[in-house]
Amino acid sequence: MSEDFGFFLLLMSNGILIGLMYSLIALGFVLVYKATDAINFAQGEFVMFAGFVAAGALMVWGVPLWIAVTLALALMIAFGFVLERVMLRKLIGRPVISVVMATIGLAAILRGIGPFVIFSGTKPLPLPIPDEPFTLGPFFLPPIQLLGAGVSLAFLAGFGWFFLKSRKGIAMRAVADNQQVAMAMGIDVERYFGVAWAMTGIVSALGGVLWGNMLGVDVNLALVGFKVFPVVILGGLDSIPGAIIGGLIVGIVENIAAGYVDPHVGGGTKDFAPYVLMILALMIRPYGIFGKRIIERI
Amino acid sequence: MRQFLALAVTLMVATGSLLAAAPAHAQSKAEIVIGVQCDRTGPTQIVGTVLCPGFHDYVALVNSKGGVDGHPIKALEIDHEYKVPAAVESYERHKKDGAVTMAIYGTPQIYALAAKLTEDRIPGTSPGFGSAAAADGQRYPYIFPIAATYWSQAAAATDFAKKQLGGDLKGKKIAYVFYDNPAGREPIEVLEDLATKEGFQLKTFAVPPPGVEMGAQVLDIAQRFKADFVISHLFGGAPSVSIKELKRVGYPLRKVIGLVWASAEANIEGAGGFGVAEGYYAMQFAGVGTDYPVLNEIREMYKKQGKPAPKEMASTVFYNRGVLIAALHVEAIRNALKAKPDGKITGEDVKKGFEKISNFTLGGLVPPLKITNTDHEGGGLVQIWQVKGGKFEKVTDWFAAYQDVVAKHIRESGAKK
Amino acid sequence: MIHRECGVLKTTYEADMALYPLPIARWTVAALAVLFFLVIPLTLHEYFLSVANLVWIAVIGALGLNILVGYTGQVSIGHGAFMSVGAYTAANLANRLGAPWPVTLVAGGLMAALVGAVVGIPSLRIKGLYLAIATLAGQLIIEWTINHVTFISGGVQASIEVARPRLGSMVLNTQRDMYYFLLVFVVLAIVGTLNLMRSRIGRAFIAIRDQDIAAEIIGINIFRYKLLAFAISSFYAGVTGVLYTYFLGIANYEQFQIGVSIDYLAMIIIGGLGSVLGSIFGAIFVTLLPIVIRYAMEAFGGVFFEPQTVLNLIPNLRLMMFGTLIIVFLIVEPEGLNRLWRNIRSYFRVWPFAY
Repeated sequence: MSEDFGFFLLLMSNGILIGLMYSLIALGFVLVYKATDAINFAQGEFVMFAGFVAAGALMVWGVPLWIAVTLALALMIAFGFVLERVMLRKLIGRPVISVVMATIGLAAILRGIGPFVIFSGTKPLPLPIPDEPFTLGPFFLPPIQLLGAGVSLAFLAGFGWFFLKSRKGIAMRAVADNQQVAMAMGIDVERYFGVAWAMTGIVSALGGVLWGNMLGVDVNLALVGFKVFPVVILGGLDSIPGAIIGGLIVGIVENIAAGYVDPHVGGGTKDFAPYVLMILALMIRPYGIFGKRIIERI
Repeated sequence: MRQFLALAVTLMVATGSLLAAAPAHAQSKAEIVIGVQCDRTGPTQIVGTVLCPGFHDYVALVNSKGGVDGHPIKALEIDHEYKVPAAVESYERHKKDGAVTMAIYGTPQIYALAAKLTEDRIPGTSPGFGSAAAADGQRYPYIFPIAATYWSQAAAATDFAKKQLGGDLKGKKIAYVFYDNPAGREPIEVLEDLATKEGFQLKTFAVPPPGVEMGAQVLDIAQRFKADFVISHLFGGAPSVSIKELKRVGYPLRKVIGLVWASAEANIEGAGGFGVAEGYYAMQFAGVGTDYPVLNEIREMYKKQGKPAPKEMASTVFYNRGVLIAALHVEAIRNALKAKPDGKITGEDVKKGFEKISNFTLGGLVPPLKITNTDHEGGGLVQIWQVKGGKFEKVTDWFAAYQDVVAKHIRESGAKK
Repeated sequence: MIHRECGVLKTTYEADMALYPLPIARWTVAALAVLFFLVIPLTLHEYFLSVANLVWIAVIGALGLNILVGYTGQVSIGHGAFMSVGAYTAANLANRLGAPWPVTLVAGGLMAALVGAVVGIPSLRIKGLYLAIATLAGQLIIEWTINHVTFISGGVQASIEVARPRLGSMVLNTQRDMYYFLLVFVVLAIVGTLNLMRSRIGRAFIAIRDQDIAAEIIGINIFRYKLLAFAISSFYAGVTGVLYTYFLGIANYEQFQIGVSIDYLAMIIIGGLGSVLGSIFGAIFVTLLPIVIRYAMEAFGGVFFEPQTVLNLIPNLRLMMFGTLIIVFLIVEPEGLNRLWRNIRSYFRVWPFAY
């Protein structure tokens, strides 16, 4: 095996693993859109806030890791419910842009609260996993990314089962499909909106812990939110498998761009390549790869 | 009607606060105002929330000792959230409140204010950021980098790499990892010059914002390019990521040097703590650690007031930079007052005051700068510290390198205009 | 003399479309002109004029964005980048060819219009959130291009210094000069938008916003009008960028990043989508809010907290208050400040004989 090919494989494995880490954040985004038609521009801030809670509990208050993670989970679930109740329920039926703007306002609030109430500055979020990568043939597999990939796939399986088999999941799909009809069938639509936001809370909490470990916890953690857009658009805003596939595509494209395009253009194309790909994909499939096509009537 | 009431209340609060704020600044005529811009809520808040308290503590220390020749100093701070319109507004506000010198914060902000500062004849400082060409005091009479610019930093880092690699760079490979914005790309021209001069192979690795992931670049450095030394010029959260990822692919951190914004305690903490970053070199334009007379005096001052020392002091890299910036402003004011004992100093006087700063070291916290009316950088001095045994340890004393190359680039940049 | 309307008594289309529906509107405009052209610039301190200048720049940008988002119903998160296109076009023309400001202003606007129309092409096929994110991609691609192509950016620093605008032999360099300079364009932008919306083009835009398929069926060329909306809106953005460049004396792409696009969206949503007055209110509100909050905190914060704590408190509280206010506005008054203003006006119109 030539050295170049070995490097290519390394890039691919890195892309796949980091792509699944992106999917983890994208899942939260997709869940909300699927159930409530709301787009959450504060997804990065959700992840950041969960990271703040976990790191604060672990490093400032000194509780064991499992309590810190549970706390982050519990808080984010509660936060999801409260948010739906206080803010988003009032915005039902408003234009898309109102919801977008409301989540942008929410992002500002979260960015203020995190450093203000919990701690300022940067804190690490150590997990009891080794830092040294596993070497498997030509591959380097960082444990944190393996864990992240595992969590993403577990969520995919979990949500897959939930939406296909469970009663609640089927009800949520009904809500997503047509709110009025769902209501007529006796489904408590508003309650399911709350459940969707709480599920986003769960995904964000775990995302916050894993990404917090990767980046350290401070407001910059919210920047991972920017990675979400090409992922969800490529996959389709309302598709859970789409979030995984989109994540993989973005992860791989980024790595290939950084490995083979950057040296020729003398600049970082890594964050820009997925967006170009995204636009091209949109011209061909306006609703993403797996997104639901909306048929418009007058 | 409720909304109308709410609006009326807001307006009343607004006017009330305007009235309340106005007379506070009007009285004591001997007071000297420094305008301080800060980012406590924006993308670089990790820096601002520590640096700015350092600035205020030093000013408070000066005032507790009776000010500068009896003139109390007032540091007016405005948080601009790293936004340019807010920086413009705060500049005008400081000007209205009579600031004779301004500590600007942020590269886009100093660019946006450069013309204004020059027109209004108020000196503004841009320590460790902004344009490297601003070191030219003739071309930018009112801009004062007062610390090593990115060009000087890159030159010093190359020199350090040379020493680490046995005094000869011929045939060696140096990787330059940079944040893909103007500030990150600025040193490349100097590095390319040095590569021809010293005969090393330079390869640049761009990390585009937001820089939350750089697996591919780091793999390239370690596995394909196989760099002998890495110069890392990153900002925000990216330095932490770079440390962690280099470690992950098994690249030895004792062959990595971070320029000044990739070198603070926060960056090491974000990477997982000092244990993880063992061996990493950090470039500094202010002394690191708690062991400086001026810091002891600040702690004393707090003790006398019966208060604990602020927790920001523990993050010594940024805090000490805040102290350094404040100290240089105060020193410039001191020089200005010496020249004009009547106390009616203007921005022009403080500018001349800055240009008289020489050998003001504050017990080692400040490098022995020599600022003149042509060199507003003061020599481009830096120290290198290393992460060792849970803290930063000093590796080199203040030094500058390849100043001839840097000077050439400053000249060329001036000629291009 | 002072009489108000008491119902819709218009009998011709001309009367319905009139710029001044009532004689009193003329008087109001005249009074406002005196206030803004004479009273404010001649009485206020330079500092307040600098704040006013920031507001004026924001007003032009917000008007432009509202044409696209509010009137035509196409979302754009790329307006910051269109501003930078205008800014760099003007800076390059001014520095390389020595072009005077009237030339650079128009050229900057046209270049931004062209780029805006190109970014708007996906709008023909995709809608809503997908379009929003496609324009976000446009923003990032334009940023990247300016950042990396030195022909545009004038060097690695990606910033080009520009001389102050001149009017004959007068150099406009004080805040007061800039105030007048900018105000002229604000007036032009307002009148331009009002008239545009009274025209055939404006009506086509509104039809597209309300239901684009229906609009197509009644014979509106969607392709042309959607791109036209992007182009006109970007023209405003480009002009905003040029004015901003002259205001600061430098073009630098870091001044037009994604945060700027979002701030402008906040302006039109808070102010009121699809309303000229709303754009103005929104621009004023978003620009002044942080400043007012800071003044309030400086005045009253010291009562409750230590001075060092206040310094840390102000910015974080300001951030949280900004977010909260946006949300409260969206929930309480979804049609924005413009609606609030109408409510107040209609309250006083029938006062004191409200039923």
